Amino acid sequence: MPNDALRDSLAEKRWLTALAQGDPSALGGLYEMYGERIFRYTYRMLGNRTDAEDATAETFLRVLRRSAELRADGAFRTWLFRIARNLCIDKMRQHKLMELPSDAHYSGAEERATLRVTVQQALSDLPIEYREPLVLCDLEDMAAREAAEVLKISVPALKSRLYRGRKALRDKLGGTLERTS
Amino acid sequence: MKNELYNKLVDMYAGHELSAELEDEMEMAAASNPALNHDMTTLRRVVDTLKTLDEPDFTDESYHRILMRLYARAGDIQPQTPAPTHFQYHLPLQG
Repeated sequence: MPNDALRDSLAEKRWLTALAQGDPSALGGLYEMYGERIFRYTYRMLGNRTDAEDATAETFLRVLRRSAELRADGAFRTWLFRIARNLCIDKMRQHKLMELPSDAHYSGAEERATLRVTVQQALSDLPIEYREPLVLCDLEDMAAREAAEVLKISVPALKSRLYRGRKALRDKLGGTLERTS
Repeated sequence: MKNELYNKLVDMYAGHELSAELEDEMEMAAASNPALNHDMTTLRRVVDTLKTLDEPDFTDESYHRILMRLYARAGDIQPQTPAPTHFQYHLPLQG
């Protein structure tokens, strides 16, 4: 195991043990470790900063509420993403948040910014069962096995959705990719 | 079955999951098969585009807003980096 991964794993174990023993300050440590990833994931799922901040905060609060069930067995990150995912789905059901975010901050050259807007819009238009594998595997770089665990489906089912999702995204983007490649 | 294998190989090619040897074989097969060639190149372009998209910016403001919410609801969580000045209260100076 590379040094960084080992260090993270030990830190995670320490925070989880502390949290399970009733030390709420350990939540801050877990937030330091995973806050950014969970924020990025929820932002990509929900499409705007305010909802992503809400979902991220609520994800960690749920961890705190269920701290008695915590086990430092290496599956924490998957569980954390699963909580975040459920919150995103709830939010999408509540608000039907499929439009482009009004507060999105697109930086970089104009062409890249345009591409990002176009891809974000096309992703948002995809059915959720296609969008989720694309966000986890292609945007968050999560391994297929872990993504399948987050989504509670088999690895072959994940791969099948990923393939169909990529095709659907390609069809939605049409000539955009050719113009920018 | 044939379709399933075709989809799997094309998807693995798109995701850069094939060995260099298998990738070469796929590219050779695609040279004489326009439909396969189209699928391989366009799907790979989708994956490459997704992987190079800028990440959502996790700003200091977002970091601290979330932390403050955790602090408000859970208590006893201390930020490990100082809050930006616009998040801090300033008491009026006396005198």
